[in-house]
Amino acid sequence: MELLKHTYLVLSKDLLLELRRRDSVLTMFFFGTLLLFVFHFSFDLPPDKVAEMAPALLWLAFLFTGTLGLAQLFQAERENHCLDALLLSPLDRGALFLAKTSFNLILMLLVELVVMPLFWILFNLSAWNLLPQLFLVTLLGTIGFCVLGTIMSALTLRARARELLLPLVLFPLMIPVILATIRCMESVLKNGEFGDAVSWLKLLLGFDVIFMTVGVLIFDWVIES
Amino acid sequence: MRLTVNHLAKAYGFLWALRDVSIDLPAGAFVAVLGPNGAGKTTLLKLLAGLIAPTTGAIQFDGVTLAPNNPLARKQIGFLAPADHLYDNLTVRENLCFFTSLYQRNDRTVNIDRALETVGLSQRRDEFVGNLSSGLKCRVSIAKWQLLQPGLLLLDEPYGVLDGNGVDLLESFLQSHCQQGHIVIMASHHVSRALKLCNRALILHQGRLSFDEAKQQPWPSFAQAFGEFLPHGESWNS
Repeated sequence: MELLKHTYLVLSKDLLLELRRRDSVLTMFFFGTLLLFVFHFSFDLPPDKVAEMAPALLWLAFLFTGTLGLAQLFQAERENHCLDALLLSPLDRGALFLAKTSFNLILMLLVELVVMPLFWILFNLSAWNLLPQLFLVTLLGTIGFCVLGTIMSALTLRARARELLLPLVLFPLMIPVILATIRCMESVLKNGEFGDAVSWLKLLLGFDVIFMTVGVLIFDWVIES
Repeated sequence: MRLTVNHLAKAYGFLWALRDVSIDLPAGAFVAVLGPNGAGKTTLLKLLAGLIAPTTGAIQFDGVTLAPNNPLARKQIGFLAPADHLYDNLTVRENLCFFTSLYQRNDRTVNIDRALETVGLSQRRDEFVGNLSSGLKCRVSIAKWQLLQPGLLLLDEPYGVLDGNGVDLLESFLQSHCQQGHIVIMASHHVSRALKLCNRALILHQGRLSFDEAKQQPWPSFAQAFGEFLPHGESWNS
């Protein structure tokens, strides 16, 4: 109960701050949209290549956009040494991890809700009926990204040039999530169902559960190191 | 309530910021931590607050060893940083609500208004903290710790940003906090002010505890110990 209560407290504080500043969500939204337009003008997706290329392009946009959000994740705590105030308090470190992960997840999902349909429109894709399945995969992939991203963001919090360091440490570790997500989306776009990609979906689910648990357990060490 | 520090030491790489510090403080102790720049005052406070881990040694508060994974122990410790530890984009009231909720002070609604009135900020409770001056932020911090009532309150150079009224507010809060049996440890370069309030003084020099005595009147041993760090021809109460 304590964990959930603290998570709610920090998450509602972060959402209130974001509602007032709007810097993270607006930056992510404009960058994601900008990337889509760049892809749109750079690539001409032939119908037979859509299933192979669309997921990779989409996830490239999500990764870059999400990294922008991660770079800002502890911004409020960096100002006025508020992180020290949190660490000084009886706040459960696992709750801090869950709150920051949820906050980043909410921002990314908001951006994805706009970016995905826009991608469909820009590339003139017809499979609108597959969007719910694709959203499910995207949700699982985004959870994986946010969970690992929050851990890495906290690890690099006190590092010099952290904005440069964060993608360097995060992207290699994200390979399983990216691979699984792209394979699942590819299968849905090709066959209209997960089919053989169910094992990738299970991998994605396993990744999310494992790193979520690990994050809650080790976040006190991560944030204080 | 008792604070026991045993052979505390902190090294940053090869540099020892603090070496072999042992202190034993009973309830109601008001300690002034004095010393020149780089003596280790802030390091000592951060160690006591649990914001950094000691290289060696241990800290016990009320019989409980202070460790990062002990939220109950953390609940008992406050750190009054004059213009820090507050969210700029939250209002004064929202900041206090947030922190009192974290510390599980459920009777907060009435108390927040009362605490803000005490520090003269009841008219500005809906202003963003970022719009306040450093002195007013310090008053918000005083209100915060008035509400949270920590068993051990640490202060690092609290006088720098406060005006005359603010200093009076801070000092009356600290005195009443001590009278309630809590422990206060204050690092400051305002020696005469710190000595007026404290009932014990510590002098740190190059990371070592060079002086630790209960206050006396007169206090020749303190004058002698502290005289080393003063500019030529000055005395500590000048």
